[in-house]
Amino acid sequence: MELSRREFVKLMTSSGIALSVSHATFAQTPAFATRETLPGRQSWNPAATGVGRIDGLAKVTGAKLYASDFRAADLPGWPANTSHAMLIRATDATHVFTGIDLSRLSGALKPSRVVTAADLATAGIRVPAFYAQADLFCPVGKTPLYLGHPVALLIFEQFDAFDQARMALRDPSCVNYGQETGAVAIAPFGAYRFVRVAGSTPGAPDVYSPMQAGWVTPRRFLNMDLPVWAPANQKGPADAQASFYGEQIRAGLAANNPDQLVLDREFQTQSIDPMFLEPESGIAWYDPKSKSLELVVGVQSPMEATESVAYLLGNARGSFKPALIHTHCAYMGGGFGGRDHTTMPLYVALAAMFYPNRPVRLANNRYEQFQSGIKRHPFKMRSRMGVDRATGKIRAFAADHRLDGGGLANFSAQVATVGATAAIGMYDIPKVDVSTVVFHSRAVTAGSMRGYGTTQVLTALEVLIDEAAAALRLDPIEFRRRNALPTNGQTMAGNALIGVTRTDEVLAKLANHPIWQDRATERARALQQRAGILVGTGVACVNKDFGTGADACLASVEVSPEGRITIRSDAVEMGTAIGTALANRVAAIIGGVADEVAMAQVDAFAPLGLVTSGDPFSITQAAQDAASRNPRWVAEISSPSSASVGAHFSTHAAFEAARVIFRFGLWPAALDLWGIAKTDPRARQWDTARWQQRKLAIPGLPPLDLASVAAKAHARGGVTAAMVHGFNRWSWTNASFKIAGETYTADIDALAVRTGTGTAKARSGSTTSDRFVPLNRTSINIPPAINERIGVAYASTCGTLVRIEIERATGSVRIANAYSVAECGQPLVPEVVVGQMQGGFAMGVGQALLETMPLYEDGPGNGKWNLGEYVVPRATDMPLNGLEIEVLPPLKPDDPPKGMAEVVMIPVIPAILNAIYDATGHRFQSLPVTQAMLKGVLK
Amino acid sequence: MTTMRITINGKAYGPTEIRDELSMNDYLREYLGLTGTKFGCGMAQCLSCAVIVDNPDGSSQTMPTCIVPAKNFAGKSIRTIEGHAQNGQPSVLQKAFVEHFSFQCGYCTAGFVNEGQVLLERLAKKPVARADLDKTIQEALNGHICRCTGYVKYHEAMRDVILADAKRYVS
Repeated sequence: MELSRREFVKLMTSSGIALSVSHATFAQTPAFATRETLPGRQSWNPAATGVGRIDGLAKVTGAKLYASDFRAADLPGWPANTSHAMLIRATDATHVFTGIDLSRLSGALKPSRVVTAADLATAGIRVPAFYAQADLFCPVGKTPLYLGHPVALLIFEQFDAFDQARMALRDPSCVNYGQETGAVAIAPFGAYRFVRVAGSTPGAPDVYSPMQAGWVTPRRFLNMDLPVWAPANQKGPADAQASFYGEQIRAGLAANNPDQLVLDREFQTQSIDPMFLEPESGIAWYDPKSKSLELVVGVQSPMEATESVAYLLGNARGSFKPALIHTHCAYMGGGFGGRDHTTMPLYVALAAMFYPNRPVRLANNRYEQFQSGIKRHPFKMRSRMGVDRATGKIRAFAADHRLDGGGLANFSAQVATVGATAAIGMYDIPKVDVSTVVFHSRAVTAGSMRGYGTTQVLTALEVLIDEAAAALRLDPIEFRRRNALPTNGQTMAGNALIGVTRTDEVLAKLANHPIWQDRATERARALQQRAGILVGTGVACVNKDFGTGADACLASVEVSPEGRITIRSDAVEMGTAIGTALANRVAAIIGGVADEVAMAQVDAFAPLGLVTSGDPFSITQAAQDAASRNPRWVAEISSPSSASVGAHFSTHAAFEAARVIFRFGLWPAALDLWGIAKTDPRARQWDTARWQQRKLAIPGLPPLDLASVAAKAHARGGVTAAMVHGFNRWSWTNASFKIAGETYTADIDALAVRTGTGTAKARSGSTTSDRFVPLNRTSINIPPAINERIGVAYASTCGTLVRIEIERATGSVRIANAYSVAECGQPLVPEVVVGQMQGGFAMGVGQALLETMPLYEDGPGNGKWNLGEYVVPRATDMPLNGLEIEVLPPLKPDDPPKGMAEVVMIPVIPAILNAIYDATGHRFQSLPVTQAMLKGVLK
Repeated sequence: MTTMRITINGKAYGPTEIRDELSMNDYLREYLGLTGTKFGCGMAQCLSCAVIVDNPDGSSQTMPTCIVPAKNFAGKSIRTIEGHAQNGQPSVLQKAFVEHFSFQCGYCTAGFVNEGQVLLERLAKKPVARADLDKTIQEALNGHICRCTGYVKYHEAMRDVILADAKRYVS
C-alpha cells in the first residue's frame, strides 16, 4: 500500500486538532537499493499455507519495519534530510537542578536548537494528565522528580554534529546541580484493600466482597506512603466493613490454633527491564505551511500516543499548535508492555515542533533506554496463609504489598490492583484480605510489563503453597488440586471466573509427567553418582487473567469478487503475530487466509462515526445509559495492545465482521449456487457449513470454491465487506442491527457494511472505505458499570515443571529439562503459541535467576547500565533440547481463543525456586536467586 | 578522516569521507540507509548489529558494527541481511527461519541469519560430526540475544537446515 501525501482521513478531533493514525506501510519500491531483497507481499505469503507468519518474509529479509528504521528520505513527501535530537537527563534527583553546561559543544558541535522547560512554558505546551506528575523538562530551580528526568532537548541539523556531540557529552555529565533537597515526595500512586468473606455454604452469597461493596481505598496516608484504613465497623460504610472483616481474618491467622498451619512469610522481587531489543525511537516532521505534524513511532498504544500529543500541543501558542497530527505506527522490536503509554512520542513531537520544517529523529541508545524505559515494579510482600491441618484446605489468606512505582505514575495503580486481585492465584480461599500500596520514588518509572504484577505475587504464592504442602506432608500437586478454584467458583473480588476452569487437567498433566514422577529417583541418582551435583524438581501452576476490563477492538474485512481477503485492525504487532492470528481467525469463517492484513489502522474506521465520552473504567451506570442512546457512542474507541488481549479481544472485531460477510454475503450466494431456495430448511443452517481448503461444503452437496462464492456475492449485491467495533467489560457488548430485512444480533456495538455492486467488475481490495454504510443499532446491551469492580474474569492456566542441576562448588544452575502445559482455548497460530511459551520460559528464567537492577543512584537511572550490567538469558541458559511444551486442545472446536502471552511466563519462576528448595533444602524468599546466593547457602 | 570504500552485498560503495570515530552501524544505517542491520545495545552484547565479513582467503566471519568504527571495514567486502535473498527469493536459511516460526518481533533476526549463514558456509568446508552438531550450533549462535523466543526455534531451524543437507554439512 503506497502512502502518498494524501489527505489523511480524519479520525477525530482532540484539543481542536484533527487526528489520524495509520500503519507505517510505505512505498515498496523506493528509488534506492536498500529494498532490493524485499520481495513484497505478492511473491510469497507464508501464512497462506500455514508455514509462517504473514510478516515473516519482511522480517527475515531486513525490510524497513520498525520506527528506528525510518529516516526522512524514506517518507514520501518529507524533506530529505534527517536532523537528530537527544535528551539530556538528570542523574541526580536529590539536588536542585541549576542548568546545563554545553560549553564543550562548540563550533560544528553546537546544537541548532536547545529546548528547555522555559521554552515549553513560553510555547504553552501542556503535559497530558497521564504523565502530569512531572514537568516534561525539569525546570531550573527544581529538584528532578526522578533519576533520568529530562532537563533539555538538543537538536542538530546534521547527523555528524549530533554523533560527535553525544560522544562529547558522554562523561562527565553536563548537568549542574545546587542545593541538596533530598528526593521529592509526592502522594502514592494508589492504594487499595480487597477483602472477601465467603458465605458459610457453597453457593451462598458472600458475607462481604469487593463486588458487593466496591473497591476500598485508605482514608489517608501517614508519612506519604503508609495507608491508614477506615476504623473497623461492621455496620459502617463499605471501607469500615472491609476493615472489620479484614481484621477478623488477620486475627484468625494470628491466633494460636493447633488445628491450623499458618505460614507468615516475606517475599521481595526485583526491578526488571523489559529489554526489548529495539530501543525506543521516533521521527517526526512539522510542516508549518499545512500545519500538519507527522510522527513515525512504534508504540503499543497508538490511539493514546496520538491523543496525548494532541493534548500536549492543544493549547500551544501560534506556530506550536498544528491543525493535524498523523501518527504512523511502525512494527515494534519487542514490547512486553514497555511500549504502552510511554513518554517517547511526546518528546518526538516536541523535537519536530521546535525545529519546524525539518524532520527530526529522536532515538534512545541502550544506556538511555535503560535510563528511561518503563520497568517492572519491584514488590515487597508479606503473606500469611492458614491451612486446615486435617483437610489440607486453605482457610484464610492475608497479604500486604508495597510497590515502588518510580518517578511517574504510569500504570502503577493498575499493576497494584491486578497484583492484589491475583494474590490468591488459582485457589479457592473463603477468607481473603489483601492490601496494596504503590508509592512514588526517584527510581526510573515502573509501569506495564508482561505479567503486570502477577509474576511477583504468584511467585510468592506458589513458593508459599509448596512450603505449606511440605509442612503438611502432602504431595505439592495434590495440595494444589485440593484447593483449586472450580468452574463457577468465586474469585477474591466475589465474581465467578468466566468459562470452564481447567486447572484440574493442567495439574493432572503435571502429576503424570516423567519429570515429576521421576523426581525422587533423579535426586537420589545424582547424590549417588554425580559428585558435587545437586538435583531438584519444582512445580508451579497459575492462572492469569487476560483483558483489562475495558477492551475495545476495531476491524474491517473485505472479500473481493476474486475471493481476495483484506483485513484491517487497530491492533499493533510487537512479535505476537497478531496479523497472522487475525488472518487465521477470519479464515475459519470466510474460507481463506487473508492476502493483506494491515494493523494499527485506527483511522480506517471513519464510516462507523464513533464517538466516546467518560472513562470506561469508572463511568457510572447512569452516564453510560445516557451516552449509549447515541447509536454512535461506544465506551472506548480503541485500546492498547497489551494485557494478553491479542487473541481473544483484538481478533474479535475481525471475527464478527467475517461472520456478517458470511451470513449476509457468502452464504446467500452459496445457496444460489447450490440452488437451495430461501424456503428450504437448509437455507438457515449456515452453522453446518464448513470451509476446507478454500471450499465451502455442506453435507450432500458439491463444495463451492471461495472465488465462485465471492463472485456470486458481489453479483447479487450481498454484503462483501463489514466494519465492526466491539467493547468488552468482562463480557462483550451485544447489539442488534437490521440487515437485509433481518434483525441480526451479535457481540458488537457498531457495524458498517458494503455490498457488492452487482457486477463482476466491482472494485476489489479497495483501500478506501467511502462505500461502507453505517447501520444504526436497534438495541444495545453494554456490560454494566458494576463490572468495573471485577478483578479477574477471563483467565488461562499454565503449569510448569523444572528439573535443575546445581553445581555445589560454584552455585551455578543448569536447567536440565522442563515441561510447560497451558490451555488457551483455540490457538489461532499454534506455532506462535508454542513460541510464546518458549519465550515466556526464557523470560521466567531471567526473572528467577539473572535479572536485577538497583533502584536508585546505582541503578539504570544513572545512565551507565547496558547489557554488560543487566544479564538476560542466552541460549545456554535454556534447556534447548529439554523443554517440552504442551498446549491443551480446546474443549469444543468453536471455542474462542484465550489470551496466554503472560500466563506462560509466570509459573516458570516459582517452579525454579521450588526446584532449588528440593535440591538444597533452602527456600529463597527473594528474586533473583543468583549464583552467588546459591553458593552462599551451599557451603 | 578516512576515505571509505567498501563492497556491500556485491556492490561497491564510496569513496566517501568519514570521521574516524563513525561507527560501522551508523555508516550503514545513517549514511547508506541500510537499516536491515539493527542497533540493539552498542556494546556488542546482543549482536543484532552483526554483519558478515568475507575475507580474501575465502573464509567469513561475523563482526559487530555497533562499537567497531566504519574505517575498520574500509576496503573489505561484507554481506548484510539485505544481501541474502536473491531475485526476491529468500535463502534456504531465511526460508527455514520463516517456516519454523523462529522469530517473533524479528529485531534480532538479521544477526541470526548472518551468523547462521557463516556457520553453514564453515560446515560446508569442514563438516561436523553429528554428535557435535548441537554444541556447534550453540557455540555459533550463543552470542546473539533474543528476548522474544527463548532461542529454541532458531536452533531447531538451524539443525533442520544442516540435517536436510547432511551430506554437505555433517561428517
